[in-house]
Amino acid sequence: MITAEELRKTLTIKGVRNVRRGMETKDDAERGMYRPEVRIGMERGRFLTESYKMTEGEPMVIRRAKALEHILRNMTIYIQDHECIVGNYAESPHDIFMPIDMTWRSFRRAVVEEDGKSLLDDKGKAELQELCRYWDGKSVRDIQVKAFEGCPQLDKYWQYEGTYLWSHWYGLGVPDYEKLLKIGLKGILAQIEERLQEIRNTIPYDYFQQKNFLEAAAMSIKAVIAWAHRYADKARELAGSEKNPQRKKELEAIAATCDRVPENPARTFQEALQSFYFVHCVTRQIEFVSTGIGIRFDLCMGPFYKKDIEAGRITRGDALDLLKRLWIKFEGQGFAYSQTLSGIYGGVQTLSAMNIGGVDRDGNDVTNEMTYLVLDTAKEMMTLQPNITLRIHKGTPTELFNRATDVIATGVGYPSLFNDEALVPLLQRWGSPLEEARDYAMAGCVYIEIPGKNGHRRMAGYFNLAKCLWWALHRGINPKTGEQYGAPTKDPATFKSIEEVMDAFLEQVRFFVHKMIQIEEVTRSVYEEYLPLPFLSAVTKGCIERGKDLGSFKDPNDGICNYAVAAGQANVADALAAIRKFVFDNKEISMKELIAVLDKNWAGNEVLHQKILTQAPKFGNNDDYVDQICNFVHCKTEEIIEEIADKYGARYHFDGSVVSTGYSLGADTPATPDGRRDGDELSDASLSPMIGRDVKGPTAVLASCAKIDPLKGYNQLLNQRFLPQFLKGANKDVFVNYLKSWRDLRIPHIQFNVVDSETLRDAQKHPEKYTNLVVRVAGYSAYFVDLSKGLQDSIISRTEQGF
Amino acid sequence: MNDGKGLIFNIQKYAIHDGPGIRTSVFMKGCPLYCKWCSNPESQRAHPEIMTYDIRCISCHRCEEICPVNAISFNEKRRQIDWEKCDNCFKCSGECPSKAIERIGNYLTVDEVLNEVLADEIFYRNSGGGMTVSGGEPLLQWEFVAELCRKAKEKGIHTVLDTCGFASWNVMEKVLKHVDLVLFDVKHMAATKHKEGTGVDNELIMSNAGKTAALVRTWFRVPLIPGFNDSPEDIRKIAEFARSLHIEKVSLLPYHELGSSKYAKIGKTYSMDGLIPTDEEKLKTATAIFESHGLKVEKER
Ligand code: SF4
Ligand code: SF4
Repeated sequence: MITAEELRKTLTIKGVRNVRRGMETKDDAERGMYRPEVRIGMERGRFLTESYKMTEGEPMVIRRAKALEHILRNMTIYIQDHECIVGNYAESPHDIFMPIDMTWRSFRRAVVEEDGKSLLDDKGKAELQELCRYWDGKSVRDIQVKAFEGCPQLDKYWQYEGTYLWSHWYGLGVPDYEKLLKIGLKGILAQIEERLQEIRNTIPYDYFQQKNFLEAAAMSIKAVIAWAHRYADKARELAGSEKNPQRKKELEAIAATCDRVPENPARTFQEALQSFYFVHCVTRQIEFVSTGIGIRFDLCMGPFYKKDIEAGRITRGDALDLLKRLWIKFEGQGFAYSQTLSGIYGGVQTLSAMNIGGVDRDGNDVTNEMTYLVLDTAKEMMTLQPNITLRIHKGTPTELFNRATDVIATGVGYPSLFNDEALVPLLQRWGSPLEEARDYAMAGCVYIEIPGKNGHRRMAGYFNLAKCLWWALHRGINPKTGEQYGAPTKDPATFKSIEEVMDAFLEQVRFFVHKMIQIEEVTRSVYEEYLPLPFLSAVTKGCIERGKDLGSFKDPNDGICNYAVAAGQANVADALAAIRKFVFDNKEISMKELIAVLDKNWAGNEVLHQKILTQAPKFGNNDDYVDQICNFVHCKTEEIIEEIADKYGARYHFDGSVVSTGYSLGADTPATPDGRRDGDELSDASLSPMIGRDVKGPTAVLASCAKIDPLKGYNQLLNQRFLPQFLKGANKDVFVNYLKSWRDLRIPHIQFNVVDSETLRDAQKHPEKYTNLVVRVAGYSAYFVDLSKGLQDSIISRTEQGF
Repeated sequence: MNDGKGLIFNIQKYAIHDGPGIRTSVFMKGCPLYCKWCSNPESQRAHPEIMTYDIRCISCHRCEEICPVNAISFNEKRRQIDWEKCDNCFKCSGECPSKAIERIGNYLTVDEVLNEVLADEIFYRNSGGGMTVSGGEPLLQWEFVAELCRKAKEKGIHTVLDTCGFASWNVMEKVLKHVDLVLFDVKHMAATKHKEGTGVDNELIMSNAGKTAALVRTWFRVPLIPGFNDSPEDIRKIAEFARSLHIEKVSLLPYHELGSSKYAKIGKTYSMDGLIPTDEEKLKTATAIFESHGLKVEKER
């Protein structure tokens, strides 16, 4: 069996470094955006451009299908020596993918002038310049600029200012893998033909659009089938000259598999994996450049594995071997991020989540041997991608908790746990029928989806609640320029109660949410017209029946069509609690004085600053005073965004997938009444207490989080930090029971940072950031920062011994 | 005492080494023993006191201004306390904005403590945990502790008493009625050695250990103090004693100077400075000896 080390050697890590201006250390600046061996793949852009030039004047959806076909026919394909599951998106394993048709200016700038210089050589740079000349005026972003032209509102609120970050970021959406594996692309093609026949009879009013779409979908499916056969030919060719008999056998198996899938229904585990990977690769990296996986892996793959085992075709070891080789493919993927986005996705390659566990559409537990195989693979590979999400429900077996804990204990950061008991009812409230709500999955890190359902471009941006509070304390006027940028709320000096502060805050939220969604909605129309996706549509539910691209309709039964990611919940709650306590309860300071101190970034009143830090109640300590406020912040802001619907009538929601936004939006948020200084980060996840402010241990954090109404809130994210020894040996049982209590408290999500010595060393240097880090050494617990240096050193060295 | 209130210096959530499952540990302040190696020196005095955290101090001088006995002064910008002068009036800790001076020890009612404990009930249920009363020495405040345990049990909470066993049996018996499991600290079998390390004789403790084990489920807790009780001979004697009482389990606490930095924070000096923490070998040897006596061993790290 191939080992993780052997596979790792084949890898080029493509994580992006955080290089956003003003935030990088000198060291980071010198290192550039990517590791030196990483390149941008040029072929996709090259063939896409060639095809576009040939098809000008044709219907857009046909042009997209032809472009896909042109790319797939001409692109370099390769099979690396370690591969058994094949499929590549660019000309070499060192390449990242780049969405030139979506937006190109920021990449060109990065590559030609700034932090991305190493990504292309001179010849490559010249070609990129050449391609960009063609796309100038034609990329979605260029067209969007034209769409915004002449509208000062759109122009003004599109610019990044810090209250929200809107971007040309991806549409996710999870292909209907179950259907793909069951009937193959050939089966889907037959459905398209059938639908074409049907409209030829019924001649609907949009006959022309439907016909174009269906013909484009058929064309793209044939292109993908042909592409797979290219791999079969390649494998046969390699097998012909292969000396090693074992590798020869593997290559022959690849050839047979690629001749069979994704065209036909999958019969074996290997065929199922291959079919899935081909379709993933085309939909995520070739037809459109995006990220995420979203498959319910054990649910889809378990039956194929079982059949193979029963037929004696493979052993468990064989399956593990295949899975490891699949895993390394995900770890090797990489996306060309702009410099601005690198601030949000610091360290990210792609965000690709595989889902295991949970209930099926009928409510039965899905755990099967594949569930455990995924965990075993993850534990052995220790790759950052794919990220594993594990759904937990009342019937989750204890064994699964145990095995998941073993993986979490490695410190790799996953599986990330989602709670069916919270999320299924939430999705029902949002409009999904029970069976569909039970089928939810995460596509990116924690982007919630219902697999197979239309999910194109759900995300409307990253929204900064803390900044909205700041605007409320400044009547929506930027004190530096005097400009009325936010809503003209009341003069805060006149606030008589905390309720008035909250009202003004909510008014700002409403104002900015509208601005952000207006930009998103106009942009979506641009996408609908200029970036149809015939292949992804063909493998998405509802498109063939309607004869429509997935950008052109919304399923009325889909609860999660639209969302915006919210950040800074805990900061707002802590800030409101501080105002309530110091201004209205104790009357220690007036509203006006407080704002004056904030505007000076606490300078001149360190005593007040310290008092607020140490005496104001903070979310995460099971203190009703602030926890109730936090619940209010969650529920009320969700209520506000739900006031808005898209053009199909589907409501917007908030979401907790903050990624590293807390850090990046925080940089543009001045001092806030919770004690944050100007530019400090925000809380690291939607449900997390502010970093360092939860001092009563992990049970108090959950008790606070349990007070956030899961039904009136949204899909949340909660980070918890544990030391490795809390998850190992005799403590493992305790940890598992802690997880069960988390489930019983109906908290939507939890994930763990299991701290290593590196963090502890950082804690030595910056104790103020780690005031809540508990260490257990003897029969005694202590806050790490309260210990002497020598003792800290001793704990660090013991942690390294791995107990 | 104090209208039935108890003097408590800490309530620790997610305590996972003070008995089975996820527990809340209630630390009672005041102890009749003065173990030289004590890692919670702030638990020893039976009255509230101040504790200082220099790293948090912002040198605002508010404490200096308010101290009625002029116990606080500044030396090259660092705040200093004259511990001799301080009479624990807590004016400074009330005034300090950054918790650089904190009051240790608060008088709480049984119900106040119980509410804190009940907040984590859902965690006890899944993990088989509950409440542990520890210290200090809980039996110094036996009436409070007995009532706390009684009420906790009434609510279905599993109760553990962590004790050094230095109390009259009369008193102990009254508390044990409401206790499901006892963590009984055993430091040394030889009376003179015991007195040298803890300040008290071990006769009463030994006799209480026997009576306790006969009455309630009992585990031993043994701190392994280098050079004091970690020789194979010392360990063997404790192991024999444990076996003779049919003790269910022995928890070993390897010595660490973890508490040493706290001594200065409350104006005490640490007498064990420089003592090397228990090494893996010693721990293994001790474990082997206990196991050879048929005892289950748990290492607390
Ligand atoms: S507690 Fe001690 S140091 Fe503090 S104000 Fe009172 S006497 Fe002074
Ligand atoms: S009041 Fe607190 S922060 Fe101010 S000088 Fe005294 S100890 Fe330091």
